[in-house]
Amino acid sequence: MKAATTASLKPTIVKRTLWKRILIHRYLYFMLLPCIAFFIIFSYIPMGGLLLAFKEYKFNKGILGSPWVGLQYFKTFFDSYQSMELIKNTLIISGMKMFLYLPFPILLALMFNEIRNKWFRNISQSILYLPHFLSWVIVVGLIQRILAPDDGLLNQFIASMGGDGSTFFMMDSNYFYSIMFGSHVWKSIGWDSIIYLAAISGINPDMYEAAKIDGAGKWREIWSITIPSIMPTIIILFILSLGNILSAGFDQIYLLRTPGNMELADILDTYVIRIGLQSGQYGYATAVGMMQGLIGLVLVVIANRISRKVSETSLW
Amino acid sequence: MNKKWIKMFAISLLVVLLVSACTNNGNQEPASNNKGSKDGQTNAASEGKPATWIADRKIKGLVFMGTDDYTEDMNPEMKAKIKELTGIDFEIQIMKADRSIDGLIAGLASGDLPDFVAFYLNNSGRPEMPVLLKAAREGMFTDLAPLMKDTKIYSKYLEKGFLPLDTEHSVMFRPEFNGSTYFVHMNINREAGYTTNLIGGPFIRKDIADALQVDPRTITSTEQLYELAKKIKAGNFTDSNGKPVVPIGPAYWGGSETDKMLMDLEWGASDQRIKQDKDGKILHEAETPYAMKKVEFVKNLLSEKLMHPEFFTIDESRATEGAVNGTWAIIGNMHSMQDFNQDAHYVPIGPIQDVEGSTRMKLSFKSGYSGWAIPTTTDQPEDIMKFADFLATKEGKLLWKYGIEGRDYTLDAEGKPVVKQEVIDLKAKDPNEAKKLGFDGVGNSWGNILGSTDTDNIADFGEENWADKANAGRSRGADLIAEYMNWNKMREEAEIKDVYTPTAFLGEFANGTELKAAFDNYNDSLVKAFYSKTAEEAQKTLDNALKQMKAAGLDDYLKLLEEKNADPKTPVDL
Repeated sequence: MKAATTASLKPTIVKRTLWKRILIHRYLYFMLLPCIAFFIIFSYIPMGGLLLAFKEYKFNKGILGSPWVGLQYFKTFFDSYQSMELIKNTLIISGMKMFLYLPFPILLALMFNEIRNKWFRNISQSILYLPHFLSWVIVVGLIQRILAPDDGLLNQFIASMGGDGSTFFMMDSNYFYSIMFGSHVWKSIGWDSIIYLAAISGINPDMYEAAKIDGAGKWREIWSITIPSIMPTIIILFILSLGNILSAGFDQIYLLRTPGNMELADILDTYVIRIGLQSGQYGYATAVGMMQGLIGLVLVVIANRISRKVSETSLW
Repeated sequence: MNKKWIKMFAISLLVVLLVSACTNNGNQEPASNNKGSKDGQTNAASEGKPATWIADRKIKGLVFMGTDDYTEDMNPEMKAKIKELTGIDFEIQIMKADRSIDGLIAGLASGDLPDFVAFYLNNSGRPEMPVLLKAAREGMFTDLAPLMKDTKIYSKYLEKGFLPLDTEHSVMFRPEFNGSTYFVHMNINREAGYTTNLIGGPFIRKDIADALQVDPRTITSTEQLYELAKKIKAGNFTDSNGKPVVPIGPAYWGGSETDKMLMDLEWGASDQRIKQDKDGKILHEAETPYAMKKVEFVKNLLSEKLMHPEFFTIDESRATEGAVNGTWAIIGNMHSMQDFNQDAHYVPIGPIQDVEGSTRMKLSFKSGYSGWAIPTTTDQPEDIMKFADFLATKEGKLLWKYGIEGRDYTLDAEGKPVVKQEVIDLKAKDPNEAKKLGFDGVGNSWGNILGSTDTDNIADFGEENWADKANAGRSRGADLIAEYMNWNKMREEAEIKDVYTPTAFLGEFANGTELKAAFDNYNDSLVKAFYSKTAEEAQKTLDNALKQMKAAGLDDYLKLLEEKNADPKTPVDL
């Protein structure tokens, strides 16, 4: 009897405690509301559209009324002569952005942390954050002008040094990865370093003082205190980025694509737009998009598990 | 704890799926704005109403075309005039999208459509066509054939011989629709072979041609063009900024392959690339020697710096700047109505012969452009048809082309409009202010959407373009150039054809989407080949593109074209 009473009371107590907590922190919860609404409206509700990946969409029947087609779109995609090349290109580009790019913002954050002159630090941070706010249309426009054959800045420099000066960098697939990666680093490095900088500023200064007393130099401090302290942040951001493994960034690649580099620059994101949406094949486009998301989700789950076992750092 | 979170996540996901899936557009309730304020006065010419009266209601349209071509702002006096004549409160909204077809697809998928929708539709091969057909087949649009019967202008669409073949059999009255039609193809000329004196193709700076003592009209082959480019380079000419000119610059509108400049190396039109050879075999350009001939020619031009290195990819602003500054000695492609060339300081080259050695002008029997449809959700769709018909009559056209009588024009003894000088002056001085007057002549094109068809401007208004009679229209440069090229003679000798474009049947071809992607890939591969380092590399690129087209069903498609061409109802432009 006592056990039964305890069992029936327990949820009520938990519930009351939860409501009480919410009441106490109501202003914080209230501030959270727009964020929750944003995710519900723009991230969760659109997930309902995933049904389209298994349906032949009819304008007059809507998503629910359209007939089911099973896994037809997935089969069509994998039967397509382009699919393997698209997946390969996507993996290479997203792999570069994920693995190769990873140390760049960390290194920048470490460098910012070591700048003692506040004025210089603020100026240099602002300059490096700025590209984040430029759209890819502007950035690619700048790149096109700088790399233009004959009258582009780079070619003029090459010509002034006695070189040819007529290389059409954008039309030559040999330069595609360098241009793509270079522009990605330039645009993203400043902004992405903020989170690492915040993690660094959260490190207890006593640790540095103790290290100094023990005779540690700057490099030792970075290696033995800073990097281990921000390692959880690095791991979590890396796990989250795995979710985008099959999404290599539509706008940048779409704008950088030219006939000369198309064999490297045709990726799943551009394919979805070109074949799926521009031809009105919503179901097909949804299926390819869903595949990108699902593979990303699986990778996030696996990476999270591995990380939890190896480093005790994980998303959940 | 983990299980609990998984359960919560799964439940919330299910709820979200259900909620969002339920918010579909399957509910085809009539659009609220369609209900209007009909007051039972649909029958025109009731007491005190003009003969043009239709109904006291609102008509709202959604336009899936660019703001460069159409404007949604309407002048209040024009709106009042429309209301006075027809009872209609007319309003249009332009769906803004990066590409008009993206807007069309999104708009149709949303299901929330107003009284009519308008879209680009050059011919049945246009990318919009499969999307529109899908919508029509799924019952989204009203059958317009019965509504056309009692109209003044649109009833002509039902007469034999008025519509071009493609419009009749592939756009509007498709056999699968059994006499019904769900879209109206617009801009059908009243007379066959009707065309303006607009001339397109490569243009050369006249001062350079004069200095080199070359008559540009005698350049009729790419070989001669190559020699001319070499002479220009050797001549050390400069642009308006004193910088050396580029012998062959890109098209006025930006990078593209320009077929008219390379006509004797083009196998069919550059947007088709399919043609019949002398033995009657239909081939794609990639299957002929012309592909590599063209690559070699362009590679030569590029390597000898006779052609701008970004000829095929340059952005529009730089291309236009180069044309305006005279940096391009030869502009790869433009037309004779450009504002900057009203003094004809650039004149046309050629025309260059085609692969058959002909320079004869080729005209369509009639061509269509843009279209509109009425969603099934629209209340009283006959009002929209009547209103479109009013706009297509001479009276309606006068309103949307010339504005309001007394304010914008007067009528001469023959009943033809004479544009007021102050309106012409305002347009020249402040085009944006003039546009606010709200009619086509000053650049406000709301009326084209429903009213531009059965066109014969000379017969209706005594002039080809607005204000031509006052010699201040937009075609002064075009007239000079037409005279220079002896356009009238070219027009007299023109070949008029009523045919389908070779790619018009992609929509009904089983593998059409894949093949279209492979055709696009060939176009890109061709440009890639122009920039390849060796001829072998170029050949390999083209071979790969051909392989992809074959994998996507090119051979079957060419067979289909043979069958279509054999059918008198579907002759193909080969």
